Amino acid sequence: MTFPPVLNIDWSALAPALALLVTAVVTLFFGLFHKDSRHVAVTALLGVVTAFFFALARFLEPSEQVASFGLRYYGDNLALAFTFVILLGTALAILVSYDQLKRQDLDRPEYYPLMLLSALGAVVMAASGDLVTLVLGLEIMSLPVYVLSAWRTSDRQSQEAGMKYFLLGAFGSAMLIYGMALLYGAGGTFVFEGLAQSLAAGEVTVLATLGGALVLVGLGFKASLAPFHQWAPDVYTGAPTPVVTFMSVVIKVGAFAALLRVVSTVFPLLAPWLPTALAIIVAATLVIGNLSALMQTGVKRILAYSAVAHAGYLGLALLAPDHGGVAAAEFYLTAYALMNVGAFAVLSLMTDANDRGDHLDRFAGLGRRRPWLAATLSIFLLSLGGIPPLAGFDGKILVFQAALDAGWYWLAVLGIITSVVALVYYFRIIAYMYFRESEYEPPAIRSTATNVAIVVALLGTLLLGFFPGLWHNLLDVGQTLIAGF
Amino acid sequence: MISLYVVLLPVLIALLVLLGRSSAALVRGLAFLGGVGTFALSLFLAGSEGFQGAWLPRMGVNFSLDATGAGPVLVLVAALVMIPTLLVAATRVEQNAAGFVALLLLAQAGLNGIFLSKDLIVFYVFWEATLIPGLLLLGMFGGDKRRQAALKYLVYAVAGSMLMLVSILSLKALSGAASFHITELMIATPSLSAGVQTWLFVGMAIGMVVKLPLWPLHSWLIDLNEQNHPSGAADVLGSLYKVGAFGFFAWALPLLPAGAERVAPYLLALAAVTAVYGALAAISQQHLKRFLAYGSLSHMGIIGVGLFGLHLAGLSGAIYFLAAQMLSTGGLFLVAGMLYHRRRSFMLKDYGGLAKSAPAFAGVSLFLIFAYIGVPGLSNFPGEFMALLGAFQTSPWPAAFATLAVIAAGVYGVNLYQRLFQGPTTVPTSDLSALELYVLVPFIAGVLWLGISPAPQLRQIEQQAALVTIQLERAVDAADEVPTVTLAGLTGGEK
Repeated sequence: MTFPPVLNIDWSALAPALALLVTAVVTLFFGLFHKDSRHVAVTALLGVVTAFFFALARFLEPSEQVASFGLRYYGDNLALAFTFVILLGTALAILVSYDQLKRQDLDRPEYYPLMLLSALGAVVMAASGDLVTLVLGLEIMSLPVYVLSAWRTSDRQSQEAGMKYFLLGAFGSAMLIYGMALLYGAGGTFVFEGLAQSLAAGEVTVLATLGGALVLVGLGFKASLAPFHQWAPDVYTGAPTPVVTFMSVVIKVGAFAALLRVVSTVFPLLAPWLPTALAIIVAATLVIGNLSALMQTGVKRILAYSAVAHAGYLGLALLAPDHGGVAAAEFYLTAYALMNVGAFAVLSLMTDANDRGDHLDRFAGLGRRRPWLAATLSIFLLSLGGIPPLAGFDGKILVFQAALDAGWYWLAVLGIITSVVALVYYFRIIAYMYFRESEYEPPAIRSTATNVAIVVALLGTLLLGFFPGLWHNLLDVGQTLIAGF
Repeated sequence: MISLYVVLLPVLIALLVLLGRSSAALVRGLAFLGGVGTFALSLFLAGSEGFQGAWLPRMGVNFSLDATGAGPVLVLVAALVMIPTLLVAATRVEQNAAGFVALLLLAQAGLNGIFLSKDLIVFYVFWEATLIPGLLLLGMFGGDKRRQAALKYLVYAVAGSMLMLVSILSLKALSGAASFHITELMIATPSLSAGVQTWLFVGMAIGMVVKLPLWPLHSWLIDLNEQNHPSGAADVLGSLYKVGAFGFFAWALPLLPAGAERVAPYLLALAAVTAVYGALAAISQQHLKRFLAYGSLSHMGIIGVGLFGLHLAGLSGAIYFLAAQMLSTGGLFLVAGMLYHRRRSFMLKDYGGLAKSAPAFAGVSLFLIFAYIGVPGLSNFPGEFMALLGAFQTSPWPAAFATLAVIAAGVYGVNLYQRLFQGPTTVPTSDLSALELYVLVPFIAGVLWLGISPAPQLRQIEQQAALVTIQLERAVDAADEVPTVTLAGLTGGEK
């Protein structure tokens, strides 16, 4: 087994991450001299756009070199596709935050640097080729979000959200690191390819399987797979809406990108019960996420549980990485980023300065009072529910088809059946908006930046829905995943 | 390309209507334009060139529409029905008429997509997407119990169509077909064992039975019609959106013939029960729209009998009846809306003796009721007759039972006319206004057209029905070689 040298750095693959890092540092200093966070926001947005162009350049001119630091940092299409989604989510979240921070009295300049750092962590996770890079990325991604969750310092619920997220997140990280140690003990290396080779050479050991299972649990926390999803509803409810907009997308992309790498390289070489265990986790996520969402009366909590449910649908793709599951997961995450950011962006225009007022009653009659807002929210919700021809539907049929092709019939059927439940709770919000008379005057919050984010998300949801091939055809990543060298 | 335009034009007009919603005159003009424009396009639809475009090529999904077989006939009749319906919506809906018109147009676009798509996933996309406008029409413009009715409709329709989606996706995964295009699927599905085909067929059938609809999955329809907007325009859409029969005809039967052979007897029994049950239930109704809904349910039962008899004449007749009932049922729902406009009631006890003060209204209604109950020479007769005749060839007992529904139809038709227009005069009523007359003229013309000259439409339908029967025969005699005519006929349609 020969590894490429460790110091073979491919700067074009590193450029997006470095752009984010530099911008984060610059905005941190910038914030010292500007009391108004909007200037910082513009700088942060510029940084994200720069990173996007670096990623685009890399995508248009792929280099021979797949990875840097001896297969520890990938620059393949899988990493790039996830980088695009992360940058998209970050840019939209910055736009949603732009006016909201001031309105909700959250206007402190460290906000954007923390957001950029978290996005950087997610990018690193998506590119990670070994377990150490993965943990580094995970921690860089998570720590800023713990702080951001507790950003509303005057509010106990926000404090609780931050604390809860931190404690459970630390627990998850501990699991992950323990699992890493066991895998290292079994395989003698942290690099996925090396692990795959040395595990393939020997018998399946309990040590390695246990390590794989713990890694799954650790990443499951971040991906909010049941039963490790407990933090999600409380954090989503407690954290400020602009923060939720960011983390509901970026954390999920980072976690699933890492899961895809691990599942497709190391898992096939571990005990055969491990995929079954993952399937049971996915099934539990689908059932718990969807049924819990059905019980909620707050729109934010509905969307929180729906985020758990969507982790379940993504889980279907995890089980079929060799049957188009990778491209399906990437497509699904892109669609999810657009429609979920869109829904939260609309929500941020509905809640008051303390983020209260997301009860379903407040949405009654919105269709008449704010027709455009209600119509866009309906489109996001229908897309989340998987109604064609919107992006969410295309994502769903892709993951279902992948699961069916891989032979997971019962799980695909369960996923499709739980989609019925999902549609009921999404449609409930629409029914409140259109089928009832309003009892409250909806707040007249206007924000151009948020509107821009909503329009981008809306166009994306429609475009991806009507012409899914445009994006899906680019997600040609099946080989590079395994063929590291 | 016309097959693409009949889908795009209503969507475009719907967007324009939404943008111009502040001006009532503009909304009316656009509604008329949308209706007439789509109808004019669909006149040239049959035999026109199809449309192919990549959609999700790596998953084997292509956006392909094709104007062969039964699809163009259904599109044409639906477009004829939509002209007056859009006019009624634009003039009789007091609040947010623009929204009503736009939703109708979006639904029409979806319907045209259902009838013309030749890719199973694209078919499903239209099938599912069309649900939303109907649901919003009910929820936004319906009566007091609209929310319950909408929830019921949503759950029935979505639960059914999700099971259908399971079957659709498994169909390709199990058969190893190259794509979801009908020709590719028909090449691949015979390799599936009869057992697998049965399961897949059952999955599809549940989704389609809900939208046929057949007893016992029909109750959403009755509530939907009762609670919809009193103008009746949304109910017309409801009678167009009974696409379950078309789903069986175009997809489930030809793709899974071995499964169909096994399951069809049970569905045939359900359909026969539906036919008689609907007819009997209609007579006992007090609410005019529920009356029409049950009568229409009885028609759907006869359509089911025609389909599941699995005989060429029955299949063609069923689809012809499906097109024809759009006219008679749709027309009567608009008549119901006109009655409501005069009296603010759907209760049959509030009416009676209208023929004295409104003779023209009574005459036109009687004509439509005659069409509704299948009087020879009018639109419903050829289809009904062929459906029962076809089923009689293969399964005489259920067909004979379903024929009872035809007798009952005479009873409920006369019953309906008597309760509305004859007997002691209640309150004098104004006769048809000019606008109302214009609204009903297309229905009268359509009823005569489909009743007097069924042959051209039936020929088109029979092309496709013949393919279905060939598939069914192949399944029975699986050892036979693939007749090349089948595949050529599928794509060309002229062979």
